[in-house]
Amino acid sequence: MISEKKPGKICRYGMAIDIDKCTGCGACVIACAVENNVPPGNEGATDLTGITWLRVFKVDNGEEYPARQAVYFPMMCQQCGVETPCYLVCPQQAVDVDPATGVVGQMPERCLGCRYCMAACPYHSRYFNWWDPKWPAGMEKTLNPDVAPRMRGVVEKCNYCHGRWHAARQRAAEAGLRDIIPGDYAPACVEACPAGAIQFGDLNDPSSAPAKAAKDPESFRLLVKLGTEPKVYYHSKREWARRIGDPSQAPAPKEPARG
Amino acid sequence: MQNTRRNALKFIGGAAAGAVFTPAPWRLITDTALWSENWPGVPRPPRGEISARFTNCSICPAGCGVRARCVGGQPVSLAGVAGHPLSRGGLCAFGVAGHHLPYCPGRLTEGPVEEAAGAIARAAANCNPANAASPLAVCSPGETIAVLDLRPGRTASWTYRRAMGAVKNGLYLTAAEAFSGAAVDLAKARTVVSLGAPVLDGWGTPGNVLAARANFRLIQVEAIESRTASLADLWLRIRPGSASTLVLGIAAAMKKGSVTGAAAATGLTERQITDLADELTQHGPALVLPGYDCPEAWALNQLTGGWGETVVARQEAPVPEHWKNCAPVTRLESAPDGSIRTLIIDESAPGDYIPWNAIRRKLVADNPVVIAFAWSPGGYRRHSLFTLPTAVFPETLEDIPAATDSPAAVFRLAVPLVAAPAGVVNPPEFVAKAVGIDASNALRERADAIQKAGRGVLIAYADGRYTPAGQVRPDDFWKALNQGACWMDSEGRRTAPPAADFAAGDAPPADDARLPLVAVLAETAAATAPPSPLMSKLHRESNLRLGRSRAALHPGTARACGAGDGGRAVLETSLGKCEIEVVVDSSVPPGVVQVAAAPEVIDICGASARARVAPL
Amino acid sequence: MNFWGKIPILAGVLASLCVGWIGFPRVIYSSRPQPVAFSHPVHAQKAGMLCVDCHAPRPDGTYAGVPPLSRCAGCHTTNLGPSAAEKTFIAEYVKPKREPQWAVYARQPENVWFSHTPHIRIAKLQCEECHGDQASSGQPRPYQEDRISGYSRDIWGYEAVGGAVPGMKMDDCIACHRREGLAHSCLDCHK
Repeated sequence: MISEKKPGKICRYGMAIDIDKCTGCGACVIACAVENNVPPGNEGATDLTGITWLRVFKVDNGEEYPARQAVYFPMMCQQCGVETPCYLVCPQQAVDVDPATGVVGQMPERCLGCRYCMAACPYHSRYFNWWDPKWPAGMEKTLNPDVAPRMRGVVEKCNYCHGRWHAARQRAAEAGLRDIIPGDYAPACVEACPAGAIQFGDLNDPSSAPAKAAKDPESFRLLVKLGTEPKVYYHSKREWARRIGDPSQAPAPKEPARG
Repeated sequence: MQNTRRNALKFIGGAAAGAVFTPAPWRLITDTALWSENWPGVPRPPRGEISARFTNCSICPAGCGVRARCVGGQPVSLAGVAGHPLSRGGLCAFGVAGHHLPYCPGRLTEGPVEEAAGAIARAAANCNPANAASPLAVCSPGETIAVLDLRPGRTASWTYRRAMGAVKNGLYLTAAEAFSGAAVDLAKARTVVSLGAPVLDGWGTPGNVLAARANFRLIQVEAIESRTASLADLWLRIRPGSASTLVLGIAAAMKKGSVTGAAAATGLTERQITDLADELTQHGPALVLPGYDCPEAWALNQLTGGWGETVVARQEAPVPEHWKNCAPVTRLESAPDGSIRTLIIDESAPGDYIPWNAIRRKLVADNPVVIAFAWSPGGYRRHSLFTLPTAVFPETLEDIPAATDSPAAVFRLAVPLVAAPAGVVNPPEFVAKAVGIDASNALRERADAIQKAGRGVLIAYADGRYTPAGQVRPDDFWKALNQGACWMDSEGRRTAPPAADFAAGDAPPADDARLPLVAVLAETAAATAPPSPLMSKLHRESNLRLGRSRAALHPGTARACGAGDGGRAVLETSLGKCEIEVVVDSSVPPGVVQVAAAPEVIDICGASARARVAPL
Repeated sequence: MNFWGKIPILAGVLASLCVGWIGFPRVIYSSRPQPVAFSHPVHAQKAGMLCVDCHAPRPDGTYAGVPPLSRCAGCHTTNLGPSAAEKTFIAEYVKPKREPQWAVYARQPENVWFSHTPHIRIAKLQCEECHGDQASSGQPRPYQEDRISGYSRDIWGYEAVGGAVPGMKMDDCIACHRREGLAHSCLDCHK
């Protein structure tokens, strides 16, 4: 479904992630799973078949000790702003780009599970429900009512915590406002990070952290040459880390992905 | 009209054409689509009124402040308390899913309550075999009944000490603790040398460490590339098990003595060791943090000038006077071997896991009685005669002792957000009752004693207000603590802690041809308690952490052992074996097997042991 | 084919139309009455209550929808009128503190997010515009549930005393949003 133009403020939500601050603790990964009702991994799940809307990778500079350095790299849907690949290939129009927020929304209720979008996504940010979601007995009580759980056979991904966005819109409506109160809406990973490495904001607002990161020469984005215009800006003071975004320059991992 | 097939087909054709003009087929398509959306087994999240409740997390001694988002009273997500003076709004991956713990698979809900109570009472009574109903758990002269407290410093710890003090042959035991009576003031440190402590991966209060990170240079001295080592300003890689030798080398370097022996043992150059000593003395205030295999490194702080500055004395929060007439604190190591007849292990609020053989040698050889309080299987339940189920965060009402990096004494409660299942016991009250003491009001008595002392400040999480404790009425003080708050002692003058012994540590394990590898514990945070099943996102559905029952090997080492990536193998040490899954990782040093710190692994590896890995 | 040859075809068409328009609706819906014979006119007109007196927003802004038993029990601890329905209600629900299992006509799928707040505070819609004039209607309609999809027949909209009640399907929401010039994206209403 093609979204139509709306009245009200036009935002472009993005993120600024400082990979020098990230310690790889994984609090963001778990907070994301808690907020979005992502089920615990099935017994047979591996790193290729599990569901981690947000995932932290360890990337090193390819050297041996003592020149070896590593960073921890949180990755979620990059919310491609131009020629969004998953949106373009979906046969069911189960992906929707909101012109008012820039968020690429995944609609599991429309998805038929062809996984074309997973093939199209250059960032591997989309995950398929290979199994029925199953929580241990009693744990369904802890599910978040603001997000609908998905059945097996559909694709899901990060939507910048749309449940929290809805709650912020409701709070704004209570105050009589049409637009979200600035600062009232932040995804779960942003709130959870103990180091404050993940920042969230409106790229159209010059005072927000992502807007500043967009202008910072020490910031970089992933796979810029593809022209997808991702809205997640990574920052590092180290030059080797800034080359992670360009695969022709980044060091290759020594171990292949497991699973 | 005749009944012919032709007529029948015409009828059907007409019916089909007519059906298109009725709502039936279109509605059936819509309904089938809707039916396919309501897949059986996909749960519907419960609805209810949304509220915020506050507590403190009791999964580890950091005790970070927690704001719980509750739906109809049931917590559905946890977050930190912004502006908290200690945790600074931080909450680690385990804490964020803490509300799942009551529903962990295998959670214990029933146990032999009467038998265990009877065993404790018999062991505690004046030993008279003629009176005992059964010979089980009756102490002979010289034998003791003991409580092993894995998380000392709580109000429950005082209850155990009172219970053991009321009994003629009672002992209160804790594991070796480098930091007793002392705490670390990280904000003052400018150079931190960690000998394997996971500074950036669960040590102290994570929010506090990260807030202070920019102020100090972190040098991590460790055999493996741990998370902290990969993030430190400088990582010095030493041979596994040589940390204790390095401690002596650094002490020698500070006194301008010889470091040749230390250099040979650790694999560092002499220059690196002398530079390290210089940094500690010249770029202070410095802090030396011991790892789990070199607790004696704590004493090095007396030589760096940090004693009294980055390492300071810290008293406990005030305690009712009449409690102090109780059993003294005894180190597990100092208890005589083979002397404990009945051992009670409180695993409900765990700290570091002590290898079982270190405990077993203190028990009598024939039929000792071990009673474990736990909420999950695994851990000491494998070695105990009776296991009694307890409540778990967030069902518990308990206090959390101050963390290592809190220079001021604190008192904070983990308050019940959900009801515990019927059948669980409260360990300190249970033990106290079995020896005839009523400790059901201990937390309230402690809170009253703290408020009466009049020192310090009460910080309420709901509104962020600081109120001097002396200005709050006792009832309001207790009520505030139960609604999510923290009492913090006033900043007194910093004093140095009592002197620490420079006891020599263990030598690295000797070479053994049969056990060619050295096992090193990685991922030590929250080792004993099983976390939420969502943790699979960190170790199974991604490769961020080394999961339990996995071991990492260098590719060359794996080939030499005959083990492949993802293969099942047996890890064997001189103390036993256990099954593991092999992970090939080129960041692991050759000759080392990096194991995740699960109880069954710590039982056979201890601090560091020679090992071998053989495919199954 | 002459006229007589067409009869089977026409008979088929007629049979199918009858089954489709008359038989099918009877079969596809199961029907049950509400657990309590509640009367909106008695409460709205005789007692002079407003919609928000029972169907009120919670302090956190969400809507309570059908009120809990405590709201009714606030007044109905004893009989306030002569009706037998009220006596039954007090005996079977108020005294034993049992929540009536009301059937909700407007129940939406799990993946739908609807918030009353912007519709009431910003769009200033009246309750009747979407829910119909409950004040003049009689007892609540029997709850007719589609056997296959599980949703109420009322989401298709219906004619009632007081006028047409609009449907509550996605098309109906979008039609009104388009009229008001509020375009939309999927995540506006879906969770």
